[in-house]
Formats: sequence, structure tokens, C-alpha cells
Amino acid sequence: MRTMGKYIVKRILLMFLTMFIIMTICFILIKMLPLPAVREMGRDVNLILAKREAMGYNKPLLVQYFLLLKNVFLHWDWGVGEQMYEALNVWDVLVQKLPYTVLVNLYSILLAIPLGLVFGIYAALKKNRWQDHVVSTLVVVFISVPSYVYAFIVQYLFCYKLGWFPLTIESLESTAFFSGRMLVSMMPAILSLGFGVIAGLTRYTRAELSEVLTSEFMLLARTKGLTKAQATSRHALRNAMVVILPMIIGEFIGILGGSLIIEKIFAIPGVGSLYVSAVNVRDYNFFMALTVFYTFIGLASSIVIDISYGIIDPRIRMGSKK
Amino acid sequence: MKRIISVITAMLLVFSGFSALAESAFTPAETYDPGERTFNAGEITTVKTEGGSSGEVTTDVYAGEAGKDYTDEKVYTYNTAMTAMGGGLDWNPHTWETSDDSIILDYITIGFYSFVVNSNKDGYSVVPEMAADFPVDVTAEYVGQYGVAEGDANKAWRIALNQAAEWENGEKITADDYIYSMQQQLNPKMLNRRADSYYDGDFDIVNAKNYLYAGKMSYAPLGDAKAAELLEAGQEVYLDMHGFWGMAGALDAEGKEAAKYISVTNDVMYRDAAVEDENAEEAWVSAKYLYDNYLAAGQKYESYAGKYLATGSVAPETSWDSVGLKKIDEYTIDIILNKPVEEASFYMPYNLSGTWLVYKPLYEECKTFYDASGAEVDSEDKADKVTTDYCTAPEKSIGYGPYKLTYFELDKQFTLERNDNWYGYKSGKNAGQYQTDRIVYTVIGEQATRLLAFLKGELDEVGLVAADMEKYASSKYISYTPQSYTTKITFNTDYEKLLAHGTNSQVVVIDEFREAFALALDREEFATAYTAAGSAGYGMLNYMYAYNPFTGGLYRDSAPAKQALVELYGVEYGEGKDYATLEDAYAAMTGYNMPAAQELMKVAYDKAVAAGIYDGVSPVEIEFRVYNSDTVYVQMFTYLDTQIKEAVKGSGYEGKLSLKMTVDPDYYETMYSGGADMIFTTWGGAALAPFGMLGQVYTDAADGSGKQMEIGFDTTKVMMTYTVDGKEITDSLRNWTLWANNSKDVTTIIDAIGEFTDYDYETRNAFYAKMEQAYLSYYVTTPVYYRNVASLDSQKVNIPVETYLQIVGFGGLRFLTYNYDDAAWADYIANNTLEY
Repeated sequence: MRTMGKYIVKRILLMFLTMFIIMTICFILIKMLPLPAVREMGRDVNLILAKREAMGYNKPLLVQYFLLLKNVFLHWDWGVGEQMYEALNVWDVLVQKLPYTVLVNLYSILLAIPLGLVFGIYAALKKNRWQDHVVSTLVVVFISVPSYVYAFIVQYLFCYKLGWFPLTIESLESTAFFSGRMLVSMMPAILSLGFGVIAGLTRYTRAELSEVLTSEFMLLARTKGLTKAQATSRHALRNAMVVILPMIIGEFIGILGGSLIIEKIFAIPGVGSLYVSAVNVRDYNFFMALTVFYTFIGLASSIVIDISYGIIDPRIRMGSKK
Repeated sequence: MKRIISVITAMLLVFSGFSALAESAFTPAETYDPGERTFNAGEITTVKTEGGSSGEVTTDVYAGEAGKDYTDEKVYTYNTAMTAMGGGLDWNPHTWETSDDSIILDYITIGFYSFVVNSNKDGYSVVPEMAADFPVDVTAEYVGQYGVAEGDANKAWRIALNQAAEWENGEKITADDYIYSMQQQLNPKMLNRRADSYYDGDFDIVNAKNYLYAGKMSYAPLGDAKAAELLEAGQEVYLDMHGFWGMAGALDAEGKEAAKYISVTNDVMYRDAAVEDENAEEAWVSAKYLYDNYLAAGQKYESYAGKYLATGSVAPETSWDSVGLKKIDEYTIDIILNKPVEEASFYMPYNLSGTWLVYKPLYEECKTFYDASGAEVDSEDKADKVTTDYCTAPEKSIGYGPYKLTYFELDKQFTLERNDNWYGYKSGKNAGQYQTDRIVYTVIGEQATRLLAFLKGELDEVGLVAADMEKYASSKYISYTPQSYTTKITFNTDYEKLLAHGTNSQVVVIDEFREAFALALDREEFATAYTAAGSAGYGMLNYMYAYNPFTGGLYRDSAPAKQALVELYGVEYGEGKDYATLEDAYAAMTGYNMPAAQELMKVAYDKAVAAGIYDGVSPVEIEFRVYNSDTVYVQMFTYLDTQIKEAVKGSGYEGKLSLKMTVDPDYYETMYSGGADMIFTTWGGAALAPFGMLGQVYTDAADGSGKQMEIGFDTTKVMMTYTVDGKEITDSLRNWTLWANNSKDVTTIIDAIGEFTDYDYETRNAFYAKMEQAYLSYYVTTPVYYRNVASLDSQKVNIPVETYLQIVGFGGLRFLTYNYDDAAWADYIANNTLEY
């Protein structure tokens, strides 16, 4: 246990070091791209230049970087938008938009995980029978077709033609964030995002479980007198989960990322387009805040996934030199 | 024998190898001179107007529809969608930037004057709003103060304020609010983006700029002053490094970025990223080098010295009292300007169609103060920089217009509701107007979703794209909103930069090549097939531009403008010609003539070979850079490729020339650097000031350092001759254009015939149409289509004006009426399928 603790602390320290390196590289690279030239007709260009001067953009790069670090670490101040969301606090914008993305994705995987597991287990148990073929064919279809295609179909069929759901998600003016009405309005997006996850999870579960079910220890379990259901749930599934669970954890971590296209189709004010926009318009402050945010998520997720191996399967020991 | 044959064969092989090498060793000429460019603009018979043109605006306003107004007790909501909030909306009156930003402002504020539909519903009238009456010229009262001299007029204006005006919380708006708000607008520690509205154009308030920049260095273009003389006198002269040489972001050897303005005596070298090879000539340049080699007397770009060289000065410490905005009494203010306002009865209300008001208690509350190191401090006195989040949320904004903001959710929705404290409702003067109680804007990025929402009755208007037109073009609910924008195809004609592309695209420098390309385009077909509501575009300016603000006379509909295009596209009229009148010829003009294009292409080929810029056999690849690879761009490109391949048939280019599409989100910047062969360019705006348009863009240098994208087209080298009342006057196209843009720097023209604004609108128009023709006749840019927006209006509402009107559009929300209230509409759409 102490070894595990040391391992985790080491990984976390390394994570912060990696983050710092990535942050530094990204800062230098983005600052090497000049801000868009000012060519506005009939406007006082000096005013923009003076503003940029006041924002410290003309200071030497190292000074600018030092100021950024100082503001972030001392005041958690990521600055304000200059090229987008002008004058708005960068962190506030992120925090304001993130909950939508998180909630839609969370609902989506909460729906997708049980369904994916059930279909996967069912297909594995019915391997090479017609049920397995049907599930596998559907899996191929849903993995191959991009999610925005489902989105348009779901929107047209369920929202426009049948009227089961609203076309776009509700605003907070009309309902609370955690409300049945909001959930219903999110359903088309949840379904559109969920199909792909269900298909992926089904495929993994089926593949892993099929392999485990043919293992010798399964035969031993059955010869010990366990029923097929007991053997499958107590032994086969648990072994299969060593591969499946990290994938599920990965999905949970991915909920912070958002989907640019799904958010656009269902008018979700999430973070899906934020990073791309920040790069396109060269908003230094947004770019840096989002870079650090996503880097942190990526690095933290890899630690969580690595640790999860040890929890799922005690045979896997982290940090042990033995 | 075998040996002899072998030797001969080997020799033949060697010779053929050498000859092949000789063929492939063709080196295009290092330079290309398009020759002397002259344009004869013909005769202009002038009419001068004492003190410039003048006129009176009308004040008879459409009364609205009786019974359909804000007194109706039912609830009417107008639901609409926007594609995005443009990276967050900014409705702070001091900092707003885009038309999206102004949406909220347009509802929660109102200007000193409004332009509204006139009583005949065929134009606009002006009505005082936050002002009680029209402005009065009080210049004589200020003689000896604020730079006002004896005999001056139209410089100082007195405005009586509307005494019924209130903030939405019911507090009275007085002269003090205007004074405080302007002081904040020009706050030197805030550097508000809209501050320039009050000094950087014709509406230039005395000392506004000095107050804003007090203690800071500011730069003013040299204009007529001579750099050499100033330098001799010991004055500093600065070069606009960003504007002249595109050095924004360039670094010196120590990694320090090039400032925009650098003294021409400064020889610190900066790396020009546009030059790939670091050791190449001009990979490193200094302000001194650029001045000495390009802008100094006798150098290549001497004529641009007035624009790109500047004098610098530290703006003097300026007290607020010296700024030309005065409180006369509680409800009267005076505005004193540096320049007189021409055509004041129109332009004073036009310049004052907004206000700069902010609500003091909230504005102060929303400020944050920072010192020079970026640390927060507790008061403005200690601060070097002040920021504000005023108008970023409903609780941080307060208006005084017909509506108030009640809900705002970033990137999702905002809602406005009737402001019961607006004077217009209280006084009853707006009876018959403003039936809408509530306005809801929702962000829906996807066009397909917006259309479905409209068809479900959730939106009351929806914009259409090209794909929707097949279904809805004939709908009785469709309306077309013209925009001032024209989309053109622009060529790079900088020979040396084209040569560097290594694809033989330098052949486009031949004038006949570009003319052939222009004639190969069927603009009508293009606009119909690839745009939702665009119409064939032939001129630089489209049908939105009014050359006379008092009559609303449209430039494109005027005889000189039509004549210019008819001549350009070679459509003849008159006795013995194809068409009897100018009108007939203009109506028949298509700009499309493939046989003529093919003949010109043959000439272009021969010229290119003769000039030694093309070997006549190698492939020619012309790169067309586009913003993205959307279906519509691909279709547009395919069309252009097809047409140019048709145009080269029968010429030496047949089978050798092709277009290549390259996706480049920065294609404008690429063109500025000379990296693109051709691109789409769109320009427009300022629909009431057409005469300034060309001067805003086409007086910049031909090297991409300014706003002109037609790289290589040097307007100082095009000599244009007008015969003005029988007297021939020749000057460069650039100078004529500057003259039309009211520049005082073109003294040669002004000395000969006076200022542009000395003439009546018809005369100005006649001059200007010829300038437009001159630009087009070199085909460095070819108009393709005029932009329009098509939209469907819901069955729930009635649009007051059927055909789009200049300035007032379709009448706006003020005159919008409803067929259903909210409850009736909900019931109707629940039981009916909407058909459009």
C-alpha cells in the first residue's frame, strides 16, 4: 500500500512537471504567432495597439510568461479575452460553459455503459449465433457512421416529426439545470452521443468476454459446479473488466471535452468549439487556459486509468519493483 | 559498322539530351512591365454648390397600424435565432464592435435621433428621440474658444435633451449623464474601443483625442509634410512598420518585437518572416533601411510617404474642461467639433443616431483597477489600467430604450422585455408602434436546426441558404435583404511574387488574361447556382449605395454608374447599335462573352510568350485560395475551373492551364504577402458614403502592406485624365480616389478644380463612376455577385414594408405587427402544420 502511495505521489509530481513543460512550450509557440494584423477601415488602429500594449503584449516573452504564472498561481487569474469573449474573464467563461458539456456527456455515458455491457455480454454468450450477428452488425454500423449523422436523424425523427423532444436544449430561463425538462431536452443529444459509445463498449465487452469464456479456468469453474451464469458473472466478467473498465473511465474523463458538432446541432452552449476558436482567432489567454485545462485532464486521466488497473486486478501492482 | 552506328546513336542521344535540357532551361524574364497605363475618363460638366451640397431630411413618420401597439394587453413574443454570439456579445456602449454586439444595444438604448419609415413607406424620415429637437448651430457663440474662428459655421451644435427620458429604473437622464458618460468613453485608462467614434472621423469632438491619449505617444500621418525637411529641422519621423512592410510580430536579433512606429533613423534590424531565406536580401530590415530605400525622396514608394511616415508626439495633458462637450443646463448640451459638419441636416442626426450613455452608479461598480505591474489596486487614482465588466450580464446593464434586458445566458439565449419606463410608452407618442412585448434571441448554430425550429413555429424568421432556395424561392413569406457587400475575384499581379510560386502563374499579369477570365464568367448563373439570394455583380459597388443621402438616389441606378459598366463590358447603344438607350444596354448587359474571352486568351498567350515570361509549353497552374472546403466553395471552384478551361480553348494555353483549389483560412493574409494567385474578396459597408469607399482601400500600397489586396496593382502608376468643363486634368488614379475621399493632401487636383465636396451630388457621382470604371478596366479584381440575404418570415407576424428601404430596412420591430398573440399561436401550431 505504501508503495502504491509513493507511486501515486510520484506520478502526480511528474504530472505537474509535464504540465509546466507543455504550458511553457505552448506559451512560446502561440506567442510566436503574431496577433491578427489590424486593418480596420475608418478606425483608430492606435487604440487597439495601445490596448495590446496595456495588456502587456509588447513586453518580452519571458516577462509575459512570468506575469501569466504570477497571475495564475497567486490569483487564479487567466486574464480576459482579447480576440473572443472580449473583456470577459477567461476562467469564468470556461466554468460557465463546462456544465452543459459535462451533463450531456455524463447522461450519455450513464445510458451507454449499461446498454453497452448488456449487449456485449449478450453477444458474447450467444457468440456465432444469429443474435450475435445482429448485435455485431449493428455495432459495425454505429461505429462507422459519425455521430452527427445520428444527430440529424434523431432530430428530424424524434424532435420534428414525432415531437417527442424539443429541437434544442432548454435555456436556464425556462427550466433549472437539474430538471426533468432539461433532461428531456437533452435526450436527442444524449442519444446521438450515446450510440457510438454503446457500440464501442459492446464490441470490447463481446471481444474480451468471448476470450475469457473460452479460458481453461472457466472450464474449471464449471467443473467445480458453478452454473454458467455464476461462472460468467463471478469469473469471466471480472477478468474481462480489466480491459473494459479503463475504457469506461476514459469515457468519463472524455465528458469534459465536448463535441463541437453535436453541441452546434442541438444548440448546447458547451465548450466544444472553445479551443478551436481560441486557436483560430489567436486569443492567447483562452488558448493558455484551455491548454492547461485539457493537459491536466489528459494527464490526470492517464494516472487514474493506471491506478484503476491495480484496483480491478490486484495481480497488477503499480510502482512495485518486484 | 555496328560501332559507327552505335557512336552516331550515342551522339544523337547526347544532342537530344542537350536540346531537352536547353528547352527545360527556359528562364522567365526577371521583371515584367505592364507598360504605360492611362485612362481617359472623358468629359465632366460640373455643377458647384456653394458650401457643398445641402438638403433637408424629411420628418413625416409612418404612424404604424392603429390598434396594433404597446397598449394591446395580450402578450406578443418575437422569437428569433442567431448563429453565434460571435465569441460573446459586448453591449457596452463604449466598447461594442460588431453588428451582433449592437443587437442588444439597439433595443435597450435609443439615439438622439432615429431614422424610421416615412409616411409613404418608401423611404426614411428622421425623428428626435433622446434629443427634444434637431441640433442648432451655435458656432458663433464659441468664436475664440475651442479653435473656433470668426466666420466658422457648423462646428458647434446645441442639443436640447428629451426631458422625459429615464433610465429603466425610473431615474431621470440629464445633461450630467451625458457629460459623465463621455468622460468615461474617453477615459485614458480604459482605452475604450468606441472612443474613436468621437475623434477619428468627421465627427471629431475638440480635444477628445488629446484627452484620451494624454501623456501617451500618438502618431499622425505625415500628409503633405516632407520627411527630409522635418529630419533636417531635427524632428523625429516615424515609419509605420506594420502598415508599410507588414512587420507586425517581427523580431529583432534579441527577440524584441517590432513596434508599429519606429523612427526612420533607427537602424535596428528586424526579421521579415515573409522572406523565407534568412540570408536573402531584405530578410532583415530596419526602419532606416526601408525609409532610405523606399520612401525617401526619389525612391520607389515616395508617393506613399505621406501615408506611412508619421510624426509622433506625446499628447498634451488635457483637462476634461477643454473637451468640446459642454453642459449648458440640466437638459441642454453643446458639442464642439474640430471640423464643420457638411450636409448637417442629414449628417448631424446620422452621427447622433446613437448615444454614449452609461449609468454612473453601476458603471463605477463594474470597474476593476490595475497598476502598471498588473496588480489590482483599490482606486482609479492609483491605477494605470481600468477594466470594466459593465454590460456583460442583465444585472450589470441598464438601458433607456424601448426594451430592457431581462435574461442573458452566454452562447445560448437572451431575452428582452418591454421597458415600461421608456418615455415613448408613457407619453403615448409611439401609438401604433411596438406591439412586441418580448424578444427572445436563441443561439442555434446549425442551419438545418434553425429551419426545423422555424417550421415548427418556434422561430419567427429564418435565414435561408442556397440549398433551401429550391423549396422556398417562390414562398410568399420570403424577403430579400440586400447587403452592401460585393464578392469579387482578386488577382495577384505582382510579377516577382508570382514567379516565386514556380507554377507559371505569372501569366496572370497580362491584362488580356484577366479580362478574358472576367468575360468567361456568367455571373447570373453563378449567383443563382451557388448563393442563396445573391445577384449577379458587375460593379465594385452594389445597389445598396446611396450617392445622395437626402433623396436616397442609388449610385448603381444612376446613369453615370450604368454608363461605366456598359462601357466596361462593351455593350453599345445608340443609333445603329444593338441597343437604343443606355437603359436597354444596361438591362441586356451580362458581362459574359465566351467567344471574346477565347480571342483575348489567344492574345494573352502570345503576349506572355513574347514578353518572355512564359515558355509557351509548360503547364500553368493558378492557385485559387479559399477559406474552407465547404461544398459551396468546391462548387464555385469547379465552375471557375470549367469556365477558364473553356476560355483557353483554341489558345496556346489549351490543355496546359489549370486551376488548383487550396484551403487556407488565412487566405487574406496570404494574399497580402503575395502568396496567393487569386482569391475571393468581399468588400462593402458605409452604404451612405460610396465616394469614400475606393479611397479607403485602393490608395494603399500595391505590396500588400495596406488594405488593398490587389497585390501588384499600383494605382500611382495609372494616370487618369478628366476633361472638367473643357479643361484636361491628369493625375494618378490614387490621387483622384483620395480626392473623392475628401483628402486635403491632393493639392494638385484641389488647386485645379477645388475640393470634391464643392460639387453637387450629381457631379460627384459622375466623377466617381469613372473612377470605378478605371479600377475595373484593369481586371485585377472582377465583381462576381452582390450579396443579399434571403429569409422567411413567420405567419405569426406582418412585416410593415414589403421592399427593403435604405437605412430603415423593412421597418424594424417598431412597426412589426402580429396575427396571433403567444397563446393563439401556440394553439395554432399545435393543431396545424405550417406551410411556407
